[in-house]
Amino acid sequence: MDFSWSEEQAAFRKEVIRFAKEELNDDVAKRDRDEEFPFDFWKKCAAFGIQGLPVPPEYGGGGADTLTTVCALEALGYGCKDNGFLFSLNAHMWTTEIPLMAFGTEEQKRRYLPKLISGEWIGLHCMTEPGSGSDAYSLKTRAERKGDRYVINGSKTFITNTIYGDLFIVFANVDPAKGANGVTGFLIEKGTPGLIVGQKLHKMGLRTSPMSEVALVDCEVPAENILGKEGSGQAIFTHSMEWERTCILASHLGMMQRLQETCVKYARERRQFGEPIGKYSAIGNKIADMEVRLETGRLLVYKAAWLKSQGRHALREASMAKLYVSEACVQSCLDAIQIHGGYGYMTEYEMERDLRDAISGKLYSGTSEIQRVIIAGFHGL
Amino acid sequence: MSTVNQTPATHAPVLKDQIREFIMENLAHAKGITSFTDDESLMESGVIDSLGIFRLVSFLEEDLRVRVSDEEINAETLKSVNSIEQLVLSKKK
Repeated sequence: MDFSWSEEQAAFRKEVIRFAKEELNDDVAKRDRDEEFPFDFWKKCAAFGIQGLPVPPEYGGGGADTLTTVCALEALGYGCKDNGFLFSLNAHMWTTEIPLMAFGTEEQKRRYLPKLISGEWIGLHCMTEPGSGSDAYSLKTRAERKGDRYVINGSKTFITNTIYGDLFIVFANVDPAKGANGVTGFLIEKGTPGLIVGQKLHKMGLRTSPMSEVALVDCEVPAENILGKEGSGQAIFTHSMEWERTCILASHLGMMQRLQETCVKYARERRQFGEPIGKYSAIGNKIADMEVRLETGRLLVYKAAWLKSQGRHALREASMAKLYVSEACVQSCLDAIQIHGGYGYMTEYEMERDLRDAISGKLYSGTSEIQRVIIAGFHGL
Repeated sequence: MSTVNQTPATHAPVLKDQIREFIMENLAHAKGITSFTDDESLMESGVIDSLGIFRLVSFLEEDLRVRVSDEEINAETLKSVNSIEQLVLSKKK
């Protein structure tokens, strides 16, 4: 076992932090208030190589292993305070690029991956529906084969990146009699007739990441736009979720480290009753707990990423990482606010935004409850 | 350091038996299913659901020591006890 980053990874991590601090922090509070997505950040990240990190070089990517990718995402979360933007990046990478890489035809990969990596296009997937969230495969969207095309009808909700999205992976059932085995993924480009992006949905947090409903009204797509095969939607979606649950909260780890360092600094400087407040165990204990949560979360995320770097599956480990880090991050945000007292509650101090953003981590990519179901399920429960 | 004498097994469990036993004990029983045939489509009969697929893959990777690629996680390759056995045998050649 080796718990250290290689020299190359450590240098890359440092460079990502420098990039994120210098390039990805303008006007976060204002954009959060105005719900503005930072296009320029997207382009800068693409130029830096973030979107292409896990994609092989033959498609224009960096070809990084999962552990190195997680290292970079953690560094981004540490250096960049715009959690909504990072969420959009993650949605793009894990629910569009990764399934394209694993299930796409060579032609599909050549057509789409270079655009998704270069920052020219933004990707997203459409799974959740008004009536199907945790029970994802009970979706009602239907795809009916008509000659060499499919006609898709249905509605999706809570879809990330929609408003600026260029490539949609839409899940629909081609044969409801088969239940989950009829669920199929379709690649649909922006502007396709019948693909309708609804009004922006307003959220508690992650406000710089656009979200809306999507309607499919007699949306016709060529048969070659199927991702994988008919009925492989279940495998595609589970594959995406395994990746997403492994990697998406790496940026939370970075946020947790940033918060902890902010709290340590404040606890040393802020004096009450003649002493720095960090001298009081009520404060010191909170900071210690923040550190333990951070290190425990790292072990879980790194283990899942290591498994994937070895070419192995990590559904259980990814669920444990996602469950733990999402809940630990919320608690660390609450502790950071408590340590800062009234200041922590002020928008200017930015912790209330981190808390609002962190809460969503317990909901997206499978709620905490679903992660527990998956973990218990491995014991036949 | 002391040694422990172990009685050698008279015969190793047959691969198909291992697969069948895993599916029965870990996936079918929880759903109240008490029997299935080796050719039966386990997804269509509800023995293997979306979570069950990955429990099965985890069993193949951890207990039977074979790597299962993402493309192989589909309703055809993991359809039945027989098809799962074929997958494992093809990896061990």
